[in-house]
Amino acid sequence: MVEPENTTASQDSAAIPADWLAEFEAAARRPLETRIRYGFVKTYRPVLDDEPFRAFDSMEQYRRWCEENLPDWLGYGRV
Amino acid sequence: MAAFEYRQALEIRDAFARHGVRYLFIGKSGALLLGYPDTTQDADIFAERSQTNCEAILLGLRDLGFALTDGQAAEILRGKDFVQLKNGPFDLDLVFAPDGIERFEDAWQRRIVVEGFPVCHIDDIIASKAATNRQKDRDSLPRLRSFREYWLRHRDSETGFGRTSRDT
Repeated sequence: MVEPENTTASQDSAAIPADWLAEFEAAARRPLETRIRYGFVKTYRPVLDDEPFRAFDSMEQYRRWCEENLPDWLGYGRV
Repeated sequence: MAAFEYRQALEIRDAFARHGVRYLFIGKSGALLLGYPDTTQDADIFAERSQTNCEAILLGLRDLGFALTDGQAAEILRGKDFVQLKNGPFDLDLVFAPDGIERFEDAWQRRIVVEGFPVCHIDDIIASKAATNRQKDRDSLPRLRSFREYWLRHRDSETGFGRTSRDT
């Protein structure tokens, strides 16, 4: 995500980009049910969504599996 | 499968409470509960790794409608570090050892309760995302850190985020 260039000058919101501040304030006005409705989406992710169950002994094993099996564009690879 | 719904969040809360599961929402799903405006696909649960808790999780998951084989149940009972569940009414990631958080008890002490949902503190959510060192998490961190500043200022206000409390 690209950081907005403009930032608010108000004392209360120093260092928070104005675009983001507006989004945070709008979210704060929404009830939890609405935040969940807006926040959870479902799109098909190749490979990742193709098995009903996976378990990994360690997070390192899971991260490695992601790097070796998932398309790069999903963003699960480590930097 | 459809997106995770508020009703299902309530079902998790109630089923896990019924069986006494010790867990916290973590990741972006936890941040959403705290008020962070973004999107995610899965509900992420950070659970205490103990025999009692793993047994309680299993009961809760079956109540929720997850169709677990005996082998899959055994994996959960063993407390594997990370379990991906896509065999129920919604997708659920069960994490017993998230990156960036040393002990469940520490995160539990810092938890925030939002309308009955136990959620990791925003600092733990950020620490976990930073420790993964994944591209998608790295991209999201600047905005998440800005949200932290906003959240810390407004978390106790009457107008923002609804009521938050450490009381369960």
